[in-house]
Amino acid sequence: MENSASLQESSLAPSNGTLGNSSLSPSIVTDHMCASALPHVQYSHNPAFISQSSRDLASLPPLGASFSQSTASLIHTQGNKDVSWSLDRLQMFLDLPENTPAPNQLVESSTGVLASEDHNKKTNWQEWADDLINVVDPDWSKILDNTNVLNPRVEVPKPSGDISKQQPQFHQNQLVPHGEFSSHAYPSSTAPPTKPRMRWTPELHEAFLEAVNQLGGSERATPKGILKLMNVEGLTIYHVKSHLQKYRTARYMPETSEGTSEKRITSIEEMKSIDLKTSIGITEALRLQVEVQKQLHEQLEIQRNLQLRIEEQGRYLQMMFEKQKKVEDEKGGVPSSASDDLLAPLPGSKHPPCNNGKSDSEALEQDHSRTGIGPGNAGTNEDKSSSGVSTKQKMLETESTVHDESGFSVSKRARTEK
Amino acid sequence: MKFGKRLKQQIEESLPAWRDKFLSYKELKKLVRQISSAESCVEYGKADAEAEFVHLLNNEIDKFNVFFMEQEEDFIIRHKELQQRIKRVIETWGPNGTKPSEAEYKDEMAKIRKDIVNFHGEMVLLVNYSNINYTGLAKILKKYDKRTGGLLRLPFIQKVLQQPFFITDLVSKLVKECENTIDEVFPVEQEDEEEIVKEQREAITIAGKGIFRNTVAALLSMQEIRRGSSTYGHFSLPPMDLPDSDLIHSFQLNSPIPIV
Repeated sequence: MENSASLQESSLAPSNGTLGNSSLSPSIVTDHMCASALPHVQYSHNPAFISQSSRDLASLPPLGASFSQSTASLIHTQGNKDVSWSLDRLQMFLDLPENTPAPNQLVESSTGVLASEDHNKKTNWQEWADDLINVVDPDWSKILDNTNVLNPRVEVPKPSGDISKQQPQFHQNQLVPHGEFSSHAYPSSTAPPTKPRMRWTPELHEAFLEAVNQLGGSERATPKGILKLMNVEGLTIYHVKSHLQKYRTARYMPETSEGTSEKRITSIEEMKSIDLKTSIGITEALRLQVEVQKQLHEQLEIQRNLQLRIEEQGRYLQMMFEKQKKVEDEKGGVPSSASDDLLAPLPGSKHPPCNNGKSDSEALEQDHSRTGIGPGNAGTNEDKSSSGVSTKQKMLETESTVHDESGFSVSKRARTEK
Repeated sequence: MKFGKRLKQQIEESLPAWRDKFLSYKELKKLVRQISSAESCVEYGKADAEAEFVHLLNNEIDKFNVFFMEQEEDFIIRHKELQQRIKRVIETWGPNGTKPSEAEYKDEMAKIRKDIVNFHGEMVLLVNYSNINYTGLAKILKKYDKRTGGLLRLPFIQKVLQQPFFITDLVSKLVKECENTIDEVFPVEQEDEEEIVKEQREAITIAGKGIFRNTVAALLSMQEIRRGSSTYGHFSLPPMDLPDSDLIHSFQLNSPIPIV
């Protein structure tokens, strides 16, 4: 749900240390929140919610050392570098929540299915961004003009062989918008230039290297020169600067002597020296290490895909529920048994119920694309969906065996499996 | 508390610089409990509590995003540098190089192998970082909904799925490329693999903290977390299929908290 009203009072006021809905995304914000501003939340009986506005941060309740430490660490570590700290705060605010170019151009993944939702999101966030620009203070707009930050519509060329390395004109920078989740208040100090979080890609890095080499190497090249040569829309000098710094570090301190790697390297070296004594060979030990690492990676990919599909199904079912409700209301409360049968099992999971689940889930997925996903579509597809829903009802009724009162028949069977 | 314990374990095993970047699972859980018990207090309205909660979650997500993208950027740079370094070594000291020297070549290659394997490991651990934080968030949201009867989980998790830290495609791609490079850089495998593997197992269990240890912990944690629980339900992951499970279990002899 869009709500530019709440955005207006949100984190555009750099000087206040308000918490809460300082910059919460419209889509997550509840109605209540939109209506009221919560300048200082004081819950005397509950220390967990006392805002620390004096810290100029959105609430950091002292829930526990590590908790506040972790959220504060970002602040503290940069506390000494005031400018960059301020930049970070700002950058989080000005990031936009959508990162749509990324899935499209990175590895072909399960985002294919999410593509349609992404598209919806694109338009939503574009509107939000536009609102934001209009609402912005004169000071801010000057700064924003500078960097084209609020222009998430970056041209993304198709990722294949078309990308010539010679071309300085890369549009593959991804202004990673996550303003939706940035909920920090801003420092009361001067308005620093924006530095939205940039998500680098290998292609962008190539362009960077090209520029650096043309300018005579990492020592001689200047951020300004690099920026100019790269000529990438949305890229700022701050991005280039920090990237250059990282590059220099990586170059002149090769893998083995990098800060974080030192500790782990020594321990692995100990390990390897013991290896040598037992004449196994470092190579073999390394091989084994790679094997384990590969396995972890594989498992992570599998797990991630599963998680995506779970949520996708959940979302779909939710939509079905809502449509079901509408149908019921329209029909004047005709009881519908299908509303109980919406717990389709996971496709491809190991549970026995998925035997009939597989074909059903395929049909579900077809319907998925037919009716379109996303709350925005629910309204427009009303006609299509009501007929879709009735066929759904019949299909889902066959799955009534899957469902029981508690809704956890799946789990019960899973348990007996073990 | 199983996930909490697992998470804590992984954090302990993780690289020092990463330790404060993980989800503050325990604290958030406490918060959820507080919210549900404070619900009766009229002073502290439910919507306010939810707003507060969402705000904190957003902070966490910010933290993940920032950290993840920093690491990702680093990986991109290092990946490229490694490749160039390999090229240089081969061209300089390799058999057909400008100044071929077997000793130097071997030396440099050994270093490269070690570095590339560790690099590979670090990248995989970042993917793991992403995943475990996601899992934690999903769990917390589930708890929240359960305790407060709210409907926060579903929409919120949809947003999380689109966050940069969850979109690990690029890092995964780098991992795969790294694996290809590893294949190129390592000599062809020998035939007496089995013996060697057994001896390696013993050697590696002597390891201290490190990427390898972290990787093992991560794998086993995953397996454990997915073993099913009392709240196993529609949104839960099925049990994990981990080949070489026994081998991996044998790697953690020195763990103070046995991952049984």
